[in-house]
Amino acid sequence: MAQIDMAQIEIRNLHKSFKDDAVLKGLSLSVDKGEIVTLFGPSGTGKTVLLRLLAGIHPQDAGTIFLRGRDATGSPPDKRGIGMAFQNFALFPHMTARDNIASALTARKTDAGEIARKVERVAQLLKIGHVLGHSPRELSNGQKQRTALARALVADPDILLLDDPLRNVDAKLRYEMRLELPALLKRVGSTVVYVTQDFKEAMALGDRVAVLLDGRIAQCDTPARIYAEPVNVGVARLFGDPTLNLIEVAPQLVDGAPEIRLGGAAIRLPASYAAAAGSPCLLGLRPEGLRLVDGPAPGAIAVDLVAVTPLNEKSVLLLTMQGGEELLASEAGDRDEPRRPGPAHVAIDPDTLLLFERESGRRFIPAENGKGGS
Amino acid sequence: MSASLSLRAVDKVYHPRGRSSVHAVKALSMEVDRGEIVALLGSSGCGKTSTLRMVAGFEDVSAGEISLANRRIERLAPAARNVAMAFEGYSLYPPLTVRENIAFALKRGRLSAGEVSRRVQEVAALVEIEPILDRYPNSISGGQQQRASLARALVRDAALYVLDEPMGQLEPQLRAVLRGRLKRLLKDRAMTSIFVTHDQTEANALADRIAVMEGGMLQQFAPQHVLKERPANLYVATFIGEPPMNVFDASVVRDDGRTMFELDNGPSFGFGDNELGPEVRQAIGKRRRVVIGVRPHRVVLGNGSAETARVVSNQWLGDQSHVAMAVAGKLLVAVSHARVRAAIGESVPYGVRAQDLHIFDVDTTVALAHGARAA
Repeated sequence: MAQIDMAQIEIRNLHKSFKDDAVLKGLSLSVDKGEIVTLFGPSGTGKTVLLRLLAGIHPQDAGTIFLRGRDATGSPPDKRGIGMAFQNFALFPHMTARDNIASALTARKTDAGEIARKVERVAQLLKIGHVLGHSPRELSNGQKQRTALARALVADPDILLLDDPLRNVDAKLRYEMRLELPALLKRVGSTVVYVTQDFKEAMALGDRVAVLLDGRIAQCDTPARIYAEPVNVGVARLFGDPTLNLIEVAPQLVDGAPEIRLGGAAIRLPASYAAAAGSPCLLGLRPEGLRLVDGPAPGAIAVDLVAVTPLNEKSVLLLTMQGGEELLASEAGDRDEPRRPGPAHVAIDPDTLLLFERESGRRFIPAENGKGGS
Repeated sequence: MSASLSLRAVDKVYHPRGRSSVHAVKALSMEVDRGEIVALLGSSGCGKTSTLRMVAGFEDVSAGEISLANRRIERLAPAARNVAMAFEGYSLYPPLTVRENIAFALKRGRLSAGEVSRRVQEVAALVEIEPILDRYPNSISGGQQQRASLARALVRDAALYVLDEPMGQLEPQLRAVLRGRLKRLLKDRAMTSIFVTHDQTEANALADRIAVMEGGMLQQFAPQHVLKERPANLYVATFIGEPPMNVFDASVVRDDGRTMFELDNGPSFGFGDNELGPEVRQAIGKRRRVVIGVRPHRVVLGNGSAETARVVSNQWLGDQSHVAMAVAGKLLVAVSHARVRAAIGESVPYGVRAQDLHIFDVDTTVALAHGARAA
């Protein structure tokens, strides 16, 4: 097949089933050269399966994978020119960490001094320089994982597949790696597909985040857009700590402006949501978009503050509305007086409010220039 | 408040066959007040689970005393301790439904059938297992088993509630809500509780006080805000807080009414005596070398700041920016709840205020000062 101008990785309509279990159901995704795409979704959605198809470890049932513009169908793993670090490490047990990492280069007959330099450099970056002489069984799981990662990186692969490489690394180191890995990957210049189960890692590492839900990529977008403009409820609820509140509402037009009833209060929606009037909806409220206010105010909901639970530099407030429905709010910063459980009022930041069709889960896109009420 | 649970000089030594013995818990003394919620927090192998198992009665103490409600319990069988527990290995009874498992915990209480049913229903609603009450344990998921086990412990009237990673297997969405409800329940009923977790988010959310353990020893036992603002040593300082505290080795130089902290191969942070008062200067004493620390959310970004550093990464997580800067050959992380627009490679102004400074002894790692006060 002639080489055509397309993305570095182009996946079209990929299907894969195991027995009766359809895992990938027409998945499409394209990744540009040098781009880092994090592949994120709940466990069991087929993220690892997709990596295995890309690597050629399993054949797909249908659909096409183009690598560097060429159809990779039928091409065995060792001919695909892909670097990989998978969860099960797969280190050679009889070799030291150094030799394991170097094994990616010795196969290509690189000069010995050059190999040693490259191994040292990547080991320093991944903070395993001090254990290069150890055999795999002497390494902690986190060190094994970084050794496998080093082996994948040292050969400067132009396509790199990483399956949750920080999973077993302790929290502090994991955080450091989260900060440093993007720059490291950019330096290598690889096109990267990075699987993670942690939404913060997905947002922090990815140029774009691809959300895998129900066998397809539900959305592939920049971290900021995925968070602020999710395509549907399924995507929205995977992001945020705590995640967003979802409440069944029925917007109505009142004096020409869309309005909902929430916890006994009338809440005016931005005019751009006028088209949602009359449809059953789910209102999505990010906890950081809810704010406790002093006393009753227009658009404020009377609530009972049930519990205050600190979360890092924030506090998470568990609120119940009239009728018992629960809301989580979060607030940043230190307060002189800690909040006490009891009656309170909460206001909604209209900029962070999301509205979904209840039936389909799709997000209502607010109309442009929809400020008809003003 | 009177102590409910009290541990005095408790030791645990394991003697695995053919290997050298392991001193898992060393001279642990702590008191839990009546109605208090206490978390044992630490990384794996720190001794927290051994401690919990000794309190519950699954492990003998090697030395020391444990009292509950003024009664020595360390030699009593678990069932004789008046302790309700939810443990990973302490599984549900397979031939009974979830409902029967929970009700069974109430059997000895001689309650009316109606009262038993009401209590089971109430606790099942709290942990959201009502739809699976009539299922058998082996037909429900791990997370559901965990909640059923938690319900079985919470439904009882006991002198102490002992919980092992009570929400470890739950989805994050449910966890945030459950934490709030559980805290409300424990507080409303003044249920004295002690739980183990490796997750500081969980400890922070639920506990009145947190016991931080490392190497079998209690490092600090204090409320969350004290651990954060006045960590006893460098271990606690860098263990508590996400992201962890920024710490740097520094030389102390006095210069004309100013104290300078000169970072190795890095900038120097200087504070006038009006900022860094006599109490802190005295705590530093004649030390020439210290470790200084500042929490990421306390790093000041923006114009008017004294130093500049190159941005290494800038990550927006939807509700906060994490900006890492190259300082003294390491990373200095700043967290802002507003979105920071700074490109990688750009130089940004930043500063550290005296009030946000933590100072530690370089050898013992013990804290010397926090902000304006000596430790």
